Amino acid sequence: MARYIFKRLLAAIVTLLIIVSAVFILVRQMPIEGYFDNFDKLDANIVRSRLVQMGLTDPIFTQLRRFLSNLLRGDLGTSARYSVGVPIGRILLNKIPVSLQFGLTSMALSLLLGVPLGVAMARSQTRYKARLWDAVGTVFIVFINAVPAAVYHIYLQAYGSRALHTSMLFSREQPLTWLLPILSMSLGSTAYYAMWLRRYMVDELNKDYVALAQAKGVVNRRVLARHVFRNAFVPMIQYLPTSLLYTVSGSIYVESLYSIPGMGGLLVDVIRRQDNPMVQILVIIYSCIGVVGLLLGDLLMVAIDPRISFAKRAGAR
Amino acid sequence: MIRLRSLVSGKLEGVSVRPIIGAASARMIQPDAAAGSPPALDTAIPRDPSLFEEAAFDRSNAERIGYSNYSYWGSTLRAFFKRPVAVLLLCVLVVLIAFTFIQPYLPGQYPATLIINHPLIKRQLSNVPPTLSTVLTTAPTGTPLTMHPYNDPEWAAVTNLTRVIQRRVKFTVVEYAGDWVRAAIDDDEGWIANDFANKLKLPDDPTAVPYESQSNFPVNMFLSPHDYTSAGVELFARRTDLDIDGGGERAVTIRETPLHILPYQNGFWFGTNLIGQDLWSLVWSGTRTSLFIGFMVALVEAGIGILIGIIWGYVRRLDRIMTEVYNVIDNIPTTIVLILISYIMRPSVKTLIFAMCLTSWVGMARFVRNQIVIIRDRDYNLASRCLGTKLPRVIMRNLLPYLVSVIMLRMALAIPSAIGSEVFITYIGLGLPVSVPSLGNLINEGRKLLSTSQSYQLVFPTIVLSVITISFYMIGNTFADSADPKNHR
Repeated sequence: MARYIFKRLLAAIVTLLIIVSAVFILVRQMPIEGYFDNFDKLDANIVRSRLVQMGLTDPIFTQLRRFLSNLLRGDLGTSARYSVGVPIGRILLNKIPVSLQFGLTSMALSLLLGVPLGVAMARSQTRYKARLWDAVGTVFIVFINAVPAAVYHIYLQAYGSRALHTSMLFSREQPLTWLLPILSMSLGSTAYYAMWLRRYMVDELNKDYVALAQAKGVVNRRVLARHVFRNAFVPMIQYLPTSLLYTVSGSIYVESLYSIPGMGGLLVDVIRRQDNPMVQILVIIYSCIGVVGLLLGDLLMVAIDPRISFAKRAGAR
Repeated sequence: MIRLRSLVSGKLEGVSVRPIIGAASARMIQPDAAAGSPPALDTAIPRDPSLFEEAAFDRSNAERIGYSNYSYWGSTLRAFFKRPVAVLLLCVLVVLIAFTFIQPYLPGQYPATLIINHPLIKRQLSNVPPTLSTVLTTAPTGTPLTMHPYNDPEWAAVTNLTRVIQRRVKFTVVEYAGDWVRAAIDDDEGWIANDFANKLKLPDDPTAVPYESQSNFPVNMFLSPHDYTSAGVELFARRTDLDIDGGGERAVTIRETPLHILPYQNGFWFGTNLIGQDLWSLVWSGTRTSLFIGFMVALVEAGIGILIGIIWGYVRRLDRIMTEVYNVIDNIPTTIVLILISYIMRPSVKTLIFAMCLTSWVGMARFVRNQIVIIRDRDYNLASRCLGTKLPRVIMRNLLPYLVSVIMLRMALAIPSAIGSEVFITYIGLGLPVSVPSLGNLINEGRKLLSTSQSYQLVFPTIVLSVITISFYMIGNTFADSADPKNHR
């Protein structure tokens, strides 16, 4: 087990290194004009000295080595353009808690809505007449999956704030204005949880042990709760750590629509302002979330389901 | 034991077997019942006496081999066409896509990027609300109108506004008719609206004419008690509807005359946007762009994904390397790649397609690889290999046909997600320039107007967009369901 985790971590570090290097080289392909607010008015010497100051004139691998060695010492660097001279760590410390609050609440909400919806949809499969929940859920899932997120966020903001008689923008003092962004953020994952839970549960419902339990006279409710749900939730467990970690990154759409001072728009912002140190750090954070989340998900699955183990892996033919 | 013909003929489905069970159980309950008088229980069961005859032994029947006229594509299509919603959406989608291509060639369409100016005041026709035709109002026969100099063989610019009386200038009211009064000033006589906006000064008994009146605001004087203008601007009538006098300054309508706000027959069905472009044409032109992006991304994704997926799945030595490469690419958040590429490269349709294809093929490749690994070593493939079939033929004839349906599903789903990505990129301000209309562009422009009276500029693009994405999504899913042989009955 420990060996497996060690191997996974090693692979993750290599992956991260490749990603960081790729992004590092990529952002250095951006036009020089982007580093200055008033490029046209600047003297060529000033431009040169500023570029030297930012360390952009060195060979690219020297820059990369410098960046990585700083990173290993725990120095995230300072922002070059977003808010000049401020350590990136401090910027992130201001932003992350906001996104985290919204993200965690919306994730809790989507689990609270999505799981019962998925169960209700799967349950209505077992009956022959009342398929109402399945139909309602399917319409919801198709809508959320097919219509681009930007569109329904916009409408929810406009009509929701009118219905609640609140301001369209987020304000820290009025708790009622927190409701719509949280709801907006949770819609997508609600549909996701409901869709996959329904699918896994329907798959389980067709298995023999369910028929056996029913033949033994176990009450339908008990079959669903004790057998089907527990089995169906195992593959969903795998994605929970990833989505939990991704709440740090915020939602680009929702945060910019409601002007929430979180992490959401930060990446877009720093890319457009060509704040290379911040782009790199953010990319590292996002990739770390992906890699670590996947690892945690696998470990969680092993912890929850005793049938799964990494010790002997089924080899493909 | 009687051998039943129904068993021999192989019909083992419930319906044809039921008489046997029914007959048997009836016999068990009442073993002494005479064959001639059927028991009451038996009446509900349809009986075919021929079923109870002894079947003759036929050697040729024994030699007959089973044959099923099952065809994969036939069954898939049959299963698909049993789903009314999907079929309906398919029809909608086909009509919609066909229409986007036909639309520019229909008569009376405005070019998508044309900025429409009013021909007289030379201002953009911005934010005109949706109208089916340009007709603003209809003047009855015999309405006097004045002409505005406008050189057009077909259309005349007309108004019934004769003059504007400046504020606090006195005029004489000669006739009082409720909402309108007939007034005279200098040598002119005309009608003035007696309404809340003009606030005419009236005596205690306004019916006692004539009297002097004035207003604290400039007031318009019309030739007839009706305002045949568009907020004070000339309207357009067909010359054939008018009796124009010799000097070409005055005209009288000779029949019921529709008065148009523009010298065009067609209205702005979806209204116009802020800079005066026809939203109807913009929406269809944008749909073309977005669909083009969607189809191109789906095609490139399928092409690269299948190619790499097959190599990855079939060449065992490559599997480990490719899996590592996949892990790296899959761990880069798609958003970052999309944003970075569209920022570094110049915003254009090609950039968007490139940025989206850069990561999306990975999913397809992995998918194809998994399928290939599963069916690569099935017995028929082993046999094929042992018989010396060349690799390309194995791939083309043995492997790919299995994947066609799932590949089509993924392509159908790639189109709405590509359109969604385009909307996203435009939303964060890195999308196509406004001069290239796309659905993302239109939605992003309309977004700012949602809570105003111009919200139609968001509503129409979103409706078209949602119809397209939902249709592709539903059709893709239904097709995947029907392509699954488990659902073939």
